[in-house]
Amino acid sequence: MNSSIVKLAQSNLLQSPQAPSWCAVLASQLHTSPALCRVVSGKYRITKKRDKPLTYEMANPPHFIAHRKSWNSWNTSSLKDGLRRSETAVEDEFIRRFMSGTWHGLMCSEVIIKRQFNHIRVAAIIRRAVSPTKMYFLLGYTEELLANWLQCPVTLELQTVDSFKDVVFKYI
Amino acid sequence: MSVFIKHYKASHLLSASNVKFFRFSSTAADLPLKKEDDDEEFRVLDIVKKRQRQQRRLNKRTDIQPDRSDRMAIDQKWGNVWPGPKTFHPSSVPLPLRQGYVPKGQAPPGKKANAELMKIPNFLHLTPPVVKTQCEALKQFCTPWPELLNSEEAIEKHYPVEIISSNYCHASPSIRNPLSRVVSLRVKLSDLKLDKHARDKFLRIIGDRYDETTGLVTITADRCPAKKQNYDYVNYLLTACYFESFNVEDWEGEKTEDDMEYYDFDRNTSRKNLINWYLKSKNEVKSMSEEEYRDFDISQIDHAEVYKNAVSKIMNDGESDDTLRSYDEAVRKLLGLPQKAASS
Repeated sequence: MNSSIVKLAQSNLLQSPQAPSWCAVLASQLHTSPALCRVVSGKYRITKKRDKPLTYEMANPPHFIAHRKSWNSWNTSSLKDGLRRSETAVEDEFIRRFMSGTWHGLMCSEVIIKRQFNHIRVAAIIRRAVSPTKMYFLLGYTEELLANWLQCPVTLELQTVDSFKDVVFKYI
Repeated sequence: MSVFIKHYKASHLLSASNVKFFRFSSTAADLPLKKEDDDEEFRVLDIVKKRQRQQRRLNKRTDIQPDRSDRMAIDQKWGNVWPGPKTFHPSSVPLPLRQGYVPKGQAPPGKKANAELMKIPNFLHLTPPVVKTQCEALKQFCTPWPELLNSEEAIEKHYPVEIISSNYCHASPSIRNPLSRVVSLRVKLSDLKLDKHARDKFLRIIGDRYDETTGLVTITADRCPAKKQNYDYVNYLLTACYFESFNVEDWEGEKTEDDMEYYDFDRNTSRKNLINWYLKSKNEVKSMSEEEYRDFDISQIDHAEVYKNAVSKIMNDGESDDTLRSYDEAVRKLLGLPQKAASS
C-alpha cells in the first residue's frame, strides 16, 4: 500500500512539466520494496533426519512466552516503573554467562533467575557428569563469587538429571 | 546356565564347537556371528561399528540415591520438608505434577527435569497449617484493638488527621524506593475549628487542595528526601495555614463589594431594600445609618430567611428553573401573595 503511493508520487513528479531537475535524482534513489517480516530468532529448523533434540524451552518459540512457557528472569524491574532496569538486565546476562562457563557442558536447561528482595535465586538443570564432590565445590564457588560481585545473597537451586536425553522434549 | 555348560562340554567340544559354546554362553554377543554363519553373502564392513555400540551396556550409577519423595511418610509435617521459599524440586515433592503444553492426546511433561515447574513461583512453604502456626507465633507480638474504636465514626472522631504514605516491596539490592518518601495528610475541613473569616482565608491559602464534594483537605509533600521529613513538613504546613488564616491584615478591611468573590446578602443593597420595605409596610418610615442597617435583625420579618436564601442562591448559582422557582415562591411568601397554581 505504502509503496504504491510512493510510486504514484514518483511518476507524478517525473511526468509533471514543472518538476525541478533534482526530482529525477531523488526519485531514482527512493527504494520501495516491502519489508520482509520474517522472524527467525528463537526458532529451530527441522533437520532432514528429524534427529535434532529440543528441550521444552526450545520447542516453544518466543511468542509463546506467557502462553506455553514462562519467563527465565523473574524480577520487579521489568514491571511498570520498576527500578534498576538496565542493571538487572546486565546482571542477569552476567549470571547466565558465568553459570554456563562454570558448569561447562553440564547445563541442560536455561538459567532461571528469580529475585526476591535482595536475594537472587539461580535455578538450572545440571547433568550428573561430574562427581558429587566436584559439584559441591562448583556450587559453593558459584554462590560465593556471584554473591561477592553482585553484593547480594545468591542461592543456587539445582536439579540433576542423568543425561541430556532426560530434558529432551522432541526431535525435529 | 552358561557356567554349567562350560564345565560339562569343556573336554569334548572345546575344539569342535567353539561357535556353539559362545552361542549358549551369551545371547547378545553372538547375534552378528549367527548372521554370518547363516547367509554366505557379503560381509558388511562396519566402519562406524554400529553393532558393537549397541551392545555396550549402560553402567548403573551407584552413588545416586532413590527419590526422597518415594520414601516420605504420609503423616509427615510438610512444613519441615519445605520450610521456606524455594525453587521446585521434584525429589522433595511427593505429588504427581505435570506441566507443559503438548498436542492433543499426549500427556504433559512430568515433574522430573521440567524447567517450567522450576520457573513458576510456588507456595509450597505457605500451606494452611504452616500459615496457622506462623500466625500463632506472631500473636504474642500483637496488642488488642482498642474497644472504643469500634466504628468508622469513632475512629474519625478521635483521629481526625489521616496520614497516607506507601511502602514499596521490590526485588533489588537496595530497599530504598524514591516513591516511599511521599506523604499525604488528609483532614476534614469541618474538623478544623475555623470562624467564617478564617475559613474563607484558609480555603484561599490551600487552593485546590480542598475537595468540595468530600469536604477533605489533602496536603501532599514529596520535596524532602526522607519520609520523616515530609511527614514533619505536612504537619508544619497544616499548622502554618491554620494559624495564618486567623490573622487579619490591614488591607483586608479595604475589601469592597466589587472585590467579593460571592454574593453576600448581608452586605448588599437587597437587605437594605428588604428592611425599608418592611418598615414602610408598618408605616415606620425613617432614615437609618449604615450601623443601624447592619444591626437590624431581619429574623423578625416573616419569611425573610427564605427570601435571603433564594436571593443568594440566584446570585451565586446563576439563573435556572430551580433557583427562579424558589425565588418566586420566596417573594410570594414575603409579600403575602397566593402561591402560583401547580399547573402553570
